[in-house]
Amino acid sequence: MINTLKNTIVFIFITLSASVFAQTEPEKGTGSTEAVAAVQNNAPPVEMADSLAQSGKIYVVVTVLSVIFIGIIVYLISIDRKISKLEKEEKK
Amino acid sequence: MLLIVYEMKKNWWKIVAVIFLLYTIIAGFLFKVPAQPILHETIRNLYFHVPMWFAMMTILFVSVWYSIKYLGGSNPESDIMATQAAHTGMLLGTLGIITGSIWARYTWGAWWVADTKLNGAAITMLIYLAYFVLRGSIDEEQKRARIAAVYNIFAYVMLIIFLMILPRMNDSLHPGNGGNPGFNKYDLDSNMRMVFYPAVIGWILLAVWIFTLRVRIEKIKQKTLIND
Repeated sequence: MINTLKNTIVFIFITLSASVFAQTEPEKGTGSTEAVAAVQNNAPPVEMADSLAQSGKIYVVVTVLSVIFIGIIVYLISIDRKISKLEKEEKK
Repeated sequence: MLLIVYEMKKNWWKIVAVIFLLYTIIAGFLFKVPAQPILHETIRNLYFHVPMWFAMMTILFVSVWYSIKYLGGSNPESDIMATQAAHTGMLLGTLGIITGSIWARYTWGAWWVADTKLNGAAITMLIYLAYFVLRGSIDEEQKRARIAAVYNIFAYVMLIIFLMILPRMNDSLHPGNGGNPGFNKYDLDSNMRMVFYPAVIGWILLAVWIFTLRVRIEKIKQKTLIND
């Protein structure tokens, strides 16, 4: 029961994720952080944290977050395993 | 060997969740995003704050689904599903409100504004909190499950009204409401879509994982209660 519901949800969303590859109208400046619209209106470009990217410090941020995330996932997996063990014992 | 294969068959979607979320974290910060005034780099919050609400709405839909199922058949398992889904939904809603508040402080200048969606979200959280208060107030199992199931249906209807209907009708700072371009027309360019969609899927799957863990724990708890 829970399996079919879960599979349905997953299927729907994986199908929806196919639209990631959908063609969109070509946009100017895609892949650049410059505010093209702002520049076209002769406004000063919107400042972004490009210095963090240029200095490579952004990788520190990414690494820290990844470590935290992996840590939490490992914890989640260990809980999952413990429950599986309890369920097996219960079955006996 | 067969046991390992069986484990994978049951749990493949959890691995999908981890991969998608790891991708979200890495790509979310390294990929380029459109430069928007006011938002600047916080636009990357889109991959974290917004999926909290998507996941919450999915999980609370699961909750009301099982509530309706319970009313149809009085199967105690449905009641467990509905309750644990509501628990998980509350977790997601809380995280959504907190992250939204932080985001608001640094873009709109205040931790909270008198905004339809914000107030609606807060009220919705209170409505679901009341669901648990209601459950706690009834001792008899079947009665508790039945009344809670009916309440859950009302709660979900209110959620739809407060989060999806009213905000669209009023003025708002919130993207997607009150005449602001939502994160689906001008701002969500294909670069962001590439991270946003997997992020939504990843966070929803993670929420479902937590939900299934809660359900399994509750079932074991109830079995040990019966056996003692």
